[in-house]
Amino acid sequence: MIAPGIKRGTAELAVLSVLEDGPLHGYEMARRIEEQTHGSLRFTLASLYPLLYRLEKRGWVRGVWETSGTGRRRRCYRLTPAGKKKLAPIRAEWSELFRALKRLAKVSHA
Amino acid sequence: MRNWEALVKQRLTGLALEPGEATEVIAEVAAHLEDTCEEMLRQGLTEDEAVRRALSQVGDWKDLRRKILAAKRREQVMEKRVRQVWIPGFLTLILSMLFLTVLYRLGLRARLVWSDPNGILLYTPWLAGLPFFGALGAYISSRAGGSRATVLFVSVFPAIALTFAFLFMFPFSLTIELIMGRPVDFSSVATVLLKDGIGWLLIPGAALLVGGLLAQALLSTRSSLRSTAIG
Repeated sequence: MIAPGIKRGTAELAVLSVLEDGPLHGYEMARRIEEQTHGSLRFTLASLYPLLYRLEKRGWVRGVWETSGTGRRRRCYRLTPAGKKKLAPIRAEWSELFRALKRLAKVSHA
Repeated sequence: MRNWEALVKQRLTGLALEPGEATEVIAEVAAHLEDTCEEMLRQGLTEDEAVRRALSQVGDWKDLRRKILAAKRREQVMEKRVRQVWIPGFLTLILSMLFLTVLYRLGLRARLVWSDPNGILLYTPWLAGLPFFGALGAYISSRAGGSRATVLFVSVFPAIALTFAFLFMFPFSLTIELIMGRPVDFSSVATVLLKDGIGWLLIPGAALLVGGLLAQALLSTRSSLRSTAIG
């Protein structure tokens, strides 16, 4: 499991990346992230929504209420053009950080 | 069936948002809890255990309320903008204008660059001090967390403000002249506009920018030295 401090910094990248594949509501988003990271990254309700609201305020994602086939209303988030544009430099920053840490810690792929 | 919205509404009491916005947050959080609970039930948990596990996602409801408020409130963005842009920008503008007034009071006048009557009038003592004010604005903005672009914008803010004043004043004074029936020589107006634009806007803007760039270079050197010194 990854320590919470490190997770916090990766949260934006995780949410923006998972939304790149298409719109999702909060619960689906949390599940998708957990599945795709094999449980290494887990979002609880308390960590997810403040982050989504921050990203929405920055204009990187947009939430719209939608009604599903079962008649349930869920707020679906999608990446905005600004969010799509932001994703590339965030990825580059993290990739640079990982490379630097790898060099520093002499970590190699298992 | 459990009323998740009522439960969330009660737990998030005091969520100081616009009524519509608060209702949306409550509905969204309730929907998430409902989905989590249903998933737990599908996994074979009892209803009580499913509810307990769903609610355990929020350890501290007061903390969640605080985080939601911090994320939703626009005032914080405004505060940031005020600290990073408007305060340093207007401070740079006021100080550079005060400096100009002091120089004028001291009897230092603007000079023509060329002896030609069409030469550009430059206030060299003022221009010499402007990099300092540009650097000061850049420093304050940078300390408030301003991005590189914001810091540079702040450093040239006096020139930008003067440009707007010029753009407003020229058409305004021309209109007054025309209304009063005075003849207006548009070619002389264009010459004055160009000369004043260069002498009072472009060159001062460049002097301010030099200060801003120097401050930014110094600050980034300092911060890279600091990161090198970690440990």
